Amino acid sequence: MKTRINVRQICFIMLAYNVVSKLLTFPTALSFFCGRDLLFPALFNFIIEGIVLWGVSFLCSKTDKTFFGLLEGTIGNIGARIVYGFFAVFFLFAALLPIFEQELYVHTIFYDTVPSLVVFLPLFIFTIYAGSKKFENIGRCADICLPVFLTTMAVIFLMSFSGVKWDNLLPVLSTPAKTIFQGAAGTAYSFTAPCWLLMFMGHFKYKKHDATKITLSYVAGALIVLLFLATFYGIYGEIAGSRTFAISRTSIYFPGIDMLGRIDLIMLYVLETVMLFALVLNIQLAVHAISVCTGWDKLPYISLIVNVALATVLITCDNLYHSIQGLYFNWLWIMFIVFSVLVPSLAWLLKRRTE
Amino acid sequence: MVTLEKSIKSLKDVLTSEDILVFEFKAESGKKFAVVFADGIVDKELIGELVVKPLRAAEADAEYEDIKLLLASPEMKEGKKKKDAIKEVLNGNAVLLIDGEKDFLIIGVKSPPMRAVAEPPTQVAVHGPREGFVEDVKINLGLIRKRIKTEKLQVKTIFVGEKSDTAISIVYIEGTCPKGLPEKIEKEITDNKIDIIPDSSYVSQFLTKKPRSLFKRCGTAEKPDVFCAKISEGRVGIVVDGSPICLTVPFMVVEDFQTVEDYYISSYRATTLRILRVVSIIIGIILPALYISAQLFKIQIIPLQLLLKISSSVAGLALSPSIEMFLTLFVLEVLNEASIRMPKYVALALSVVGALVLGDTAVKAGIISTPAIIIVALSAICLYTVPNAIETTTTLRWMYLIIAGSAGPFGVVLLTSYLVCYLVSEQTYGVPLVTPFAPLIKGDLYDSFVKANMYTLDTRPEVFRTNDKVRLKNNENKN
Amino acid sequence: MKKRINVSTVSVVVYWLFFLALLGLYFTNDFGLVDIHKTAIITAVGIDTAENEVQVTAEIAIPQPSQSGENIKYTQVQGSGVTIADALNEINAKTGFYPKLQFCKLVLLGDSCKDKQLFRLLACFYRKNFSELTALVAMCEGNAADMLAMKSDTSDMTSEAIRKVLSDEIEKSANATPATLKDIAQLGYSKSAACYMPYVEASEPGTSENGGDGDNVGGDGGNTGESESGGSQSGSGSQGGGEGGSGGGGAGSAQSGSTGGETPMQFNARKTAIFSQGEFKGILNEQQAFALAAIENDIRLAVLPCDADGVHYTIGMKNVKCGVSLKVNDGVPALTVKFTAKAQINGAKKQIEPNKILLDDAIPDEVLSGAEEALKERFSDLITTCREENCDLIGIKDLLYKYNTKYFEAFEGDILTRMEVKYEVKIESVA
Repeated sequence: MKTRINVRQICFIMLAYNVVSKLLTFPTALSFFCGRDLLFPALFNFIIEGIVLWGVSFLCSKTDKTFFGLLEGTIGNIGARIVYGFFAVFFLFAALLPIFEQELYVHTIFYDTVPSLVVFLPLFIFTIYAGSKKFENIGRCADICLPVFLTTMAVIFLMSFSGVKWDNLLPVLSTPAKTIFQGAAGTAYSFTAPCWLLMFMGHFKYKKHDATKITLSYVAGALIVLLFLATFYGIYGEIAGSRTFAISRTSIYFPGIDMLGRIDLIMLYVLETVMLFALVLNIQLAVHAISVCTGWDKLPYISLIVNVALATVLITCDNLYHSIQGLYFNWLWIMFIVFSVLVPSLAWLLKRRTE
Repeated sequence: MVTLEKSIKSLKDVLTSEDILVFEFKAESGKKFAVVFADGIVDKELIGELVVKPLRAAEADAEYEDIKLLLASPEMKEGKKKKDAIKEVLNGNAVLLIDGEKDFLIIGVKSPPMRAVAEPPTQVAVHGPREGFVEDVKINLGLIRKRIKTEKLQVKTIFVGEKSDTAISIVYIEGTCPKGLPEKIEKEITDNKIDIIPDSSYVSQFLTKKPRSLFKRCGTAEKPDVFCAKISEGRVGIVVDGSPICLTVPFMVVEDFQTVEDYYISSYRATTLRILRVVSIIIGIILPALYISAQLFKIQIIPLQLLLKISSSVAGLALSPSIEMFLTLFVLEVLNEASIRMPKYVALALSVVGALVLGDTAVKAGIISTPAIIIVALSAICLYTVPNAIETTTTLRWMYLIIAGSAGPFGVVLLTSYLVCYLVSEQTYGVPLVTPFAPLIKGDLYDSFVKANMYTLDTRPEVFRTNDKVRLKNNENKN
Repeated sequence: MKKRINVSTVSVVVYWLFFLALLGLYFTNDFGLVDIHKTAIITAVGIDTAENEVQVTAEIAIPQPSQSGENIKYTQVQGSGVTIADALNEINAKTGFYPKLQFCKLVLLGDSCKDKQLFRLLACFYRKNFSELTALVAMCEGNAADMLAMKSDTSDMTSEAIRKVLSDEIEKSANATPATLKDIAQLGYSKSAACYMPYVEASEPGTSENGGDGDNVGGDGGNTGESESGGSQSGSGSQGGGEGGSGGGGAGSAQSGSTGGETPMQFNARKTAIFSQGEFKGILNEQQAFALAAIENDIRLAVLPCDADGVHYTIGMKNVKCGVSLKVNDGVPALTVKFTAKAQINGAKKQIEPNKILLDDAIPDEVLSGAEEALKERFSDLITTCREENCDLIGIKDLLYKYNTKYFEAFEGDILTRMEVKYEVKIESVA
């Protein structure tokens, strides 16, 4: 079952997917809760997650086993399967909110008039197909996505900088610490990178300094997100909290837009492909986790079931985005802390050598 | 004892066609011979020179071995079975029957009608060689051998097609091509039992494990210089008798964007042209889709001033934007198909009908708008910058159009994501279809959408994992 | 015998079914979408209020069938309702067009909007995704509907003619203080809670709003105070050139009969409407607006009239750097207005021999002092107005909050009156 991915591709995932999953409602939510101090909850989460990620990547240097192998060696096969079952559920939750976000984003950015949900449902044809792919495919998609991501982000940043007033971010730390922590906890659902690496563990060949490479890629991604957050708030200031889908809002003040039209929309459409791959990563990992948990290796069938379940939730809870986001913000962040921070940290306690 | 008459009858019982001729002659000693051949595909003069003339001197009691020594043919085979004799006759060789002998001799005098070596119309090069492959496998192999004079050049010929018995030569350079690949290809081809192989495209489908796939898995070469360049990189070439188009595997999508001339001109110009081709292909495929999805779903994409112009053009049109574009593209495809199939002297009339009657009048009548025609024309021109991929790209254009008109720009993005996901998983003979991009192979990027100078391209593509890596030594000029 | 399902065949069937479904959708286009044929391209919106009603005038571009290029008819359609959305809905009902604001580049508020809470009025635009916040906002004399109905000789589209006087180029010469919906909201919701927008006036060609500042005038005229000319301009044809200045050069209103829709009009936006807490506070005259523009925007080339030794000069200023900073020294907030520029004489009301014009570029010190004084006066005027109207236009509270946070609570209430103001104006001659 050891399908291969390589470290370069993991680095690309940590850089590109990690960023694009935080460009839609994440900046708006942080602006809404923490105002001009929106960088701090994000930074806090990045530091915590970065440390955990480094820990997991360093753990990869100590063993060539998969995470399942480590669990199996410590708590037995049944225990390992149960843990993977929990991870499957976790990845489904990690995929669910971004799907809702994507639906709203797509309806807003891709259509002038709000179309019916039917327009969005073909997404699941793609996710069923992509969800059934193995790690090799995930890695290769990342190879394609990184240059696309870097190009589009560079253009969007270039178009955005002209409208930024950096002093909108002043005064620094004027928000109470409690609010910043609340913001950090509430948006923890956007931070799942260590779990991704946990699943990739044992599926790539670790070479010297790979932990550093992975962590540095993550740091680069974090810096891009922080720069974007600063840009977004720099442009909108006090009203940033009301501007949803931040990535689509920053470049519209580019002076050339009057003449060229909304070329930023073309960039956003291109970037959307990367967003879709980032979205589908959680589904792919959920499928992988279910496959390992159940021992059923028919990935297309598992993907079909998983996606039908997600589509059902989407159809049933359409128009309930704010309630669902509230649920994630107020309650489910605990689950994300457990799976993204605690479990990866505890992985060090697992037996790395077979006795 | 087998008499000559009996031998002739035995063959003629099977080869009943009137174009199978039997030429009987006697030596001065009175020994009788007969040559059986298919009229039209043998060189009769050669039969006279190589067979009839030498055998005049044959003794009356000359035996099979003595007669063999008398013959002057450099291409001669012994035959025992009747079915081999029939096969050889049909292949264009002559079968020499000897009175009193059960066995026969096969003389290579094949001379099927063929055209001269000429520049292929689809791979015209301003710079570089102008020779192109022809329909004869031997000439084609000769053109290859002329360019690669190494003992490592291997040619393995197999015969496929129960009725056509077509010669297919697998050509590769030993040590350069991945180990085991020629054998694998041979197996892939011979595993298919087919009646006739009219063209190499049949063979290319045998080599494609996913025949339903929209994307081709075999490279094509119509010129020996291209073919040789490809096999020298580590690929295996396939030359099919009767086809001027040779195949190369493994294939990568990026090959379609490379033309032979890229290697003969400045690397800067070549890079510019390759990027131009990539951009053109993207525009050609996506532009009609983007245009109608903008009109139907997201008008904002279009700048205001342009929008106002487009609005003026489409105002009062009887058709919806999607149907208008569908119709325009349909007309383009029809014109394209007709102009290829029509005799040249009718083609002029066709272009008048197409451009004036259909184009101008339709616009004036308010059936289609000027922007739609511009978009479709631009798309058509763009796609022909990469003619090798035209089958795939035109199909993709339709797919994008349909999805854009029905699901809007999000459909376009979804289809793109789907294609990316699909393409990165596909591979031919262990080589991923979209390499060097996925998986990313840094070294091979220098000859992908960019083309570095020859000193940078001093090694063979890493993707083939060949043992013989170096192509250019003593490269002091590197960097 | 049980027949095994061939996954490959099933997937092909599924693909074909999907394709056919798409084809069906392609030819029916039935997602409730609004295509180019059914869309009204709204290029500008005028807002007037009456009692509890909002009257929205949309300037709509109506494409006319043409295969040889642009052929657009612009028309004004009105709708009314309690909110702007209501009014737009009425436009939809009246015309059959689905009004979209994506291409709306100008929101024009009529004089009647002065009595309304600005953000309550504009709330519709700030709702999620209703429109991009890139549209320019301006207040106009009289009714917005009337102004949009005027003809212009600079563009077929009235809104475009208005937008020309609110352009980036105008902004860089400090002749207007353009503001977008985003700017208004950002300023309005900042600690200063004050915002501004250009005040657009129309005049007939040949009349001058303020007499200009050229060589042939005796001084910079211009209006002071609030223009209340208002009134209906189009249709009734009552008013042409607005108020007219006290300066020379044919000031005053040109009463040349009907203006609305008949005589082409010229627009200018040299005055600025100011708001505090969303309430209208008044209109800055051209000099005050110039000072505000200098502080708020990046100025590339500004023209300043000034007098020295009884001669009127018009100074062209380049490399303008202007800004304000706030410091609290010994518990006293001090505002510094800094202005530096390189200047040359663009024109002077004096006799000069043609061959000496080149030598006259260098500005005598007394003229520089005169220009500096004129500028100081403009800044001072602006700050006085801010104090009088308690309208923190230049964002002093914001500066206090951002750079002197610890004093914010203490000074927030009365900083405008409590602060000391220092002007550091330095103009150097380019020659």
